[in-house]
Amino acid sequence: MKCLIVFGVIVAVFGAFVGYGYLVFSELTRPLPKPEFSDSTYWGPGEAKSYVPDKKIYEFRLDVPQAEIEDLRQQLNRTLRLAEPLDGISFEYGFNSYALDQFVEYWRDKYLTKWDERQELFNKFKQYTTEIQGLNIHFIREKASAEAAAKKHVYPLLLLHGWPGSVREFYDIIPMLTNDQNVTDYAFEVVAPSLVGYGWSDAATRPGFNAAEMATVMRNLMLRLGHKKFFIQGGDWGSIIGSNLATLYPENVIGYHSNMCVLNSPLAILKGIYGTYFSEKIIPSRFFYDHHFPVWDKYADLLRESGYFHIQATKPDTIGAALATSPVGLAAYILEKFQYCTNPGMQQDFGAIVTVFGLEPVLDNLMVYYLTNSITTSVRFYAENVSKAYRDLQLDRVPTPVPMGCSRFRYDLPSVTDWQLRDKFPNLKHSMYFQQGSHFAAMEMPAMLYQDFTAFVGKIGLHGEKPK
Amino acid sequence: MSNVFVRFLIGGLALLVAVGYKNYRDLAAPGKRPDLDNNAYWGPKLGKQIYKENKAILPYDITVNPEVIADLKSQLSRPLKLQEPLEGVGFEYGFNANELRQVVKYWRDTYLTNWSEREQYLKKLDHFQTEIQGLKIHFIHAKPSKEAGKQGKKVLPLLLMHGWPGTVREFYDFIPLLTTPSDKSDYVFEVIAPSLPGYGWSQGSSKTGFGVAQVAVVMRNLMLRLGFEKFLVQGGDWGSLIGSNVAGLFPENVLGYHSNMCGNNSPMGNLKLVLSFVFPSWFVDGQFAHFYRGAGGLFKTIMEEMGYAHIQATKPDTVGNALIDNPIGLASYILEKFSTWTNPAFMALPDGGLTKRFTYDQLLDNVMIYYVTNSITTSMRLYSESMNKAQSSLAVDSVPITAKTGCTRFAHEIAHTPDAILANKFPNLVHSTYFEDGGHFPAFELPEQLYADFTAFVQKADL
Repeated sequence: MKCLIVFGVIVAVFGAFVGYGYLVFSELTRPLPKPEFSDSTYWGPGEAKSYVPDKKIYEFRLDVPQAEIEDLRQQLNRTLRLAEPLDGISFEYGFNSYALDQFVEYWRDKYLTKWDERQELFNKFKQYTTEIQGLNIHFIREKASAEAAAKKHVYPLLLLHGWPGSVREFYDIIPMLTNDQNVTDYAFEVVAPSLVGYGWSDAATRPGFNAAEMATVMRNLMLRLGHKKFFIQGGDWGSIIGSNLATLYPENVIGYHSNMCVLNSPLAILKGIYGTYFSEKIIPSRFFYDHHFPVWDKYADLLRESGYFHIQATKPDTIGAALATSPVGLAAYILEKFQYCTNPGMQQDFGAIVTVFGLEPVLDNLMVYYLTNSITTSVRFYAENVSKAYRDLQLDRVPTPVPMGCSRFRYDLPSVTDWQLRDKFPNLKHSMYFQQGSHFAAMEMPAMLYQDFTAFVGKIGLHGEKPK
Repeated sequence: MSNVFVRFLIGGLALLVAVGYKNYRDLAAPGKRPDLDNNAYWGPKLGKQIYKENKAILPYDITVNPEVIADLKSQLSRPLKLQEPLEGVGFEYGFNANELRQVVKYWRDTYLTNWSEREQYLKKLDHFQTEIQGLKIHFIHAKPSKEAGKQGKKVLPLLLMHGWPGTVREFYDFIPLLTTPSDKSDYVFEVIAPSLPGYGWSQGSSKTGFGVAQVAVVMRNLMLRLGFEKFLVQGGDWGSLIGSNVAGLFPENVLGYHSNMCGNNSPMGNLKLVLSFVFPSWFVDGQFAHFYRGAGGLFKTIMEEMGYAHIQATKPDTVGNALIDNPIGLASYILEKFSTWTNPAFMALPDGGLTKRFTYDQLLDNVMIYYVTNSITTSMRLYSESMNKAQSSLAVDSVPITAKTGCTRFAHEIAHTPDAILANKFPNLVHSTYFEDGGHFPAFELPEQLYADFTAFVQKADL
């Protein structure tokens, strides 16, 4: 009789633990409602009450004084005393000194010599600035071509870049989006802004400008341009900002497409661990296993690659000052990301950047950071997004009804599976796996990204298209 | 039926205890000293030649080429393109741009104008260089004054090692105290203060694999080269880690080990660390409980302060190349540590409290050594070569240090380790102190305090 009681007590205690565990689990993983969020916070300098809004839209043209180019050339002409790489090391320890020497030489002797050409290229799309919530926002605005407008359904599209990118990433995909292409019934009026704190957009002068604030400014930009409903496409921070926009302002978003479908809610993380062991239950084909699993390997890779994230999220002004005062330093730091985001077979290759991206586009992108001196404000975004204020919003746990499309390029940062995505995007309409390509998809394979984005648009059924 | 159940339960628990006890015995057992090549070659590739070590010990001239100074001045005269700090922010986002402007102004207008004075000051200690295992190693050699012998003081050799982002400059107020006889101590010291390989005027390795243990071999060989078979070791930061490696690997050479950053990275040490989060009172004396911040505090510190270590351990070439020939960037990156690691409370100050404990001259002397020797990249490689599986599999921290040990703890150091957690690594811990002041760079910040503590240890150790 006594041992029955003992047995009963053990079962009861065990049951209590299980019950408590279940309560904790559901508390951590249940979906959350949309948080309260102000869409009119003033982010400009000085006091909000003395702010007089200026709603005009001004034209923008890049016109760099020749003296600045000359000064850059002089700075690039200093004798560099870079440390020799260790024996047998190419890019395993970061950007190789010999490669940096070569890039600097090209930048100085070839690229800067044809700067006027590069500037012309920058200006080939119509650009503007307008003031949103006290911040001057720079953006490209390209309307659909006349032929496309005549034959296709035209929709506005907000195109969002990330770090260390810029609007330059989109220079090949924009003409595809605005012109008549035979693969789709759609064409787009493209709005591609420089993010706040990046490129030719102003930066916030107070702490707190995180990815939810960014989403708000971008949404307000679209409203300013007369677009109450629009598509969003983004990678890197652009993907996260787009996700926040679709979450906070679903009434404005027709569809959201991402080429970096990450999700860091507790439920998604737990599902990822489960998926490592039972992947066949959750991915459409075993060929896609390496995109996601095993999660431990992915974390190990991330640990090796995220030093920049760590220092930018904690000491942005320290590293920012270092990179603002040295164009060679800026080049090493940013080029490392392009070198890495080729593919594993090329990461140690001295010709990787030339082969995958071409030198000029990469240097164009670097010039955006250099000319605007925006490296410090660009890296502050990382600190703002790891702050408690941002994490408390828990936006990854807030579902949104907005139709979503996800394309996964093989060598990008690890994405989550549809099974995980649907917890936040129940209206996931399109999901694609590419067995090639990396992080800077719009630059590396614009045609594939364009193809995938328009395939997603078609699946929403805006004009009676039936799902296949 | 219940009988069987109870038997299973007891049997299962007994098995668990047995397995746990065996694993504990394994964990607590002293580790084996790893087999290292005491003559490994770390220099540049030789091709067909055979390496012949040049054993000459020569005076070293640290004079800086005046062109370097002139070029530096013109770089510091360029218009500054720093981003304004965010409103209301001190050093919470890193080095405050307004303070950096001040530093640059002083550096250009005052410090460099007085450069010849600074250079003379740096030369007041004697500099030498010799070649160890293919690397040219620079060191300061400071002998006690002749008075010391007359006063009957015993002279002990001392290997004194700096860390990152420090240099031998940290010891310029500490060394004179060590070499001058005082009433506090029966001892004076003959000090060897090297620049760590890859730092300052010491050559960096050309090969991968040159981590803490391998540096320890070079440092010990340096002492043997100078004729010191037995010596004391003192260090903080990497100096502390290299020092404990020297003591663990070469017990026959080490008289005593003193550190202001004692740690224990053996499996037993880490197990006890985790336990100390749950049961702090088992490990920490109540009187000093406020020195320990628990799991949350430790995690927060790692997250907030270790970004630099993370990037240096993974991409030293990228961040090193960003700082080469970049004096302002270098100053920002290095001096941030002299603010935050001296006292975390300084983060709230717009000037980072830099001049509360140091002068600009002191701080810039330290930065100049990195700048003129162009050593920032090689200095960072110590992180990548030490924070990897190959190094941790040597398990040097599991080898107990038989030499007498002294650990001192300055309040604002990044993290502390209590004696109870140090036990399996330092079985001969004879001296353990706490100070309610001071930070990560005590030789630089509070040299008298560190000297008093070090000599107290040596007295106690009765060497």
